[in-house]
Amino acid sequence: MAELALKNAIKRYGATQVVHGVDLQVDDGDFCVFVGPSGCGKSTLLRMIAGLEETSDGRMTIGGRDVTHADPAKRGVAMVFQTYALYPHMTVRENMSFGLKIGGTEKSEIKRKVDAAAQILKLDDYMDRKPKALSGGQRQRVAIGRAIVRQPDVFLFDEPLSNLDAELRVEMRVEIAKLHKQLGATMIYVTHDQVEAMTMADKIVVLRDGRIEQAGVPVKLYEDPDNLFVAGFIGSPRMNFFAGTVARVEAGIAHVTLPRLGGVEVPVSVSDLPAAGQAVKLGLRPEHFEPGGAIQTELAIDVIENLGGVSYAYSSAEGDEHPVIVELRGKTRPGESGALSVAFDPSSVLLFDSETGQRIR
Amino acid sequence: MSLSETATAHSATSLDWDLIRRRGKSVFAHGIVLGLVGVMLLPLIYMVMMSFKTSTEIAQDPLGLPNTLYWGNYMEALASMGYVRSVINSMGITVSVILVVVFAGAMAAYPLARLENRISRVIVMVMALGLATPNFVTITPIYVIFRDLGLLDSYLGIVLAFAALKLPLAVFFYTSFIAAIPIELEEAARLDNCNNWQVFWHVIRPLLAPVTATLSLFVMIMVWNDFIYPLLLLTDKDKLTVMIAVYKFVGNTGIDPTKLFPAAVLGSIPLLIMFAVFQRKIMAGATAGAVK
Repeated sequence: MAELALKNAIKRYGATQVVHGVDLQVDDGDFCVFVGPSGCGKSTLLRMIAGLEETSDGRMTIGGRDVTHADPAKRGVAMVFQTYALYPHMTVRENMSFGLKIGGTEKSEIKRKVDAAAQILKLDDYMDRKPKALSGGQRQRVAIGRAIVRQPDVFLFDEPLSNLDAELRVEMRVEIAKLHKQLGATMIYVTHDQVEAMTMADKIVVLRDGRIEQAGVPVKLYEDPDNLFVAGFIGSPRMNFFAGTVARVEAGIAHVTLPRLGGVEVPVSVSDLPAAGQAVKLGLRPEHFEPGGAIQTELAIDVIENLGGVSYAYSSAEGDEHPVIVELRGKTRPGESGALSVAFDPSSVLLFDSETGQRIR
Repeated sequence: MSLSETATAHSATSLDWDLIRRRGKSVFAHGIVLGLVGVMLLPLIYMVMMSFKTSTEIAQDPLGLPNTLYWGNYMEALASMGYVRSVINSMGITVSVILVVVFAGAMAAYPLARLENRISRVIVMVMALGLATPNFVTITPIYVIFRDLGLLDSYLGIVLAFAALKLPLAVFFYTSFIAAIPIELEEAARLDNCNNWQVFWHVIRPLLAPVTATLSLFVMIMVWNDFIYPLLLLTDKDKLTVMIAVYKFVGNTGIDPTKLFPAAVLGSIPLLIMFAVFQRKIMAGATAGAVK
């Protein structure tokens, strides 16, 4: 176990730069999740940490050791691949032993470590099977077992659950979280699924176009995003954004008018006050529509999605990039005309600069 | 007859016709397949039939079945062709060529399959050209080079010549097969402390088993049946291959069928045995990659 630090890490393929000066600190024993849309550079960054991609510039340390240009095997990392990457011609035991065997570990020691890992992952009954005779979940456990036996400083997971079905994914998510608690190891986990990120992480790193947009604990990213991208990416269903204009600024309050919500004026309390007339975006999560809210308006509802415990109402209008989503609790339903009365509290809205996408705090 | 009875009788008749039509189609399809198999096996059957006939029977009825299984032809052929020696030579040369081609081919193909640069693409193209080069084009250069290197009439010479000729095929086979092996396996091996050689030996090589079996069979058939290069490079009668030994029965003025046909059967038997042994692996290789 050890902490990981990246200082201005850069990755270039020829003239194209894909990772732009990433600075990151992952503390000892942390479960850090890299999340972002496809092509954001999260897997590339993980592979740079593993040593499978050369770091073009910058510095990388694991447990204080400079590993920027070290061989993958000399970094003290173990990786679990999306495709499992189990050696198909070897049994489960051979797969798990292979790294230690190549490293020259004694046979008795290999057996002890492999048996211990098999016990943790409940693989005892499958040790003589080849990967093709295992289910997806079992294969993933073997891949994790192969990482465990090496007792690495840092575990790396590259979208390990994306090949599993929904039920198994939830099961494995819980197992990996348990394993993290049990081993207390530093783990870095890549996913494009923000639910996985929110449920598993001690720290989430949101990436876009090879840059860190924001890093922090999940709740902080959810409640206090730095920009439009993070606000939209974290949370499911996504945050609603309404284009608006600052009508006036009075006594430290910016009054924003929202044409999409029938021209209501929302007083937003921010310390870095925008100028009157400035174009802004106002963010409001679906669950922040509450019956008793001070701001009241109406939305024309197209579709209601009933998930059992909770329902979501969708309202689309011309010019909307995404439909407005309202979380419905209890028996609240739109009237016969499809119009739904909604309300929200101004304290639950977030304000963003339309031009830069940055949060106005 | 009531309406329902008429309907039942009608549907029973149409069912019968369906069955007859299906069976008819099946018989027709099987007939075509059997006919094609017969055409392909005809030369083989003719060779075996002729090998058991006496010279009188061959003269009187060249296309008829033998009256008895006359083994005397085999005894004479065995006695005069140096069968055991020539089979050992052929086997030794074939196995050596397969070993060289498999090892050199796989090791050459590994970087070619993985390196994405112009040089590796050019090498793969040159190898493909090697596949397309007609055999007779290489006869003279190989003879001259091997003569100058003092490799004529030696096992090493014939093995190297065959290995050079069959290497493009091996590289071609292995390159496409290795390119389909997920790169993550190699990356996992690198994280497991393997150097390049260990990745190849412990991870890539074992996965090549099915394609190696298929390649070995192709090379085995080509080398075993090859006639030109042993004739060109070998002169010592103790080093001759089985195909040259068979050819000895084709004289300058005529053919002795009572010896040529049994010799041809004897020459083919080891190949057929090896083919039967490898068949399952070969099929696995031929369909490898079709299903995950």
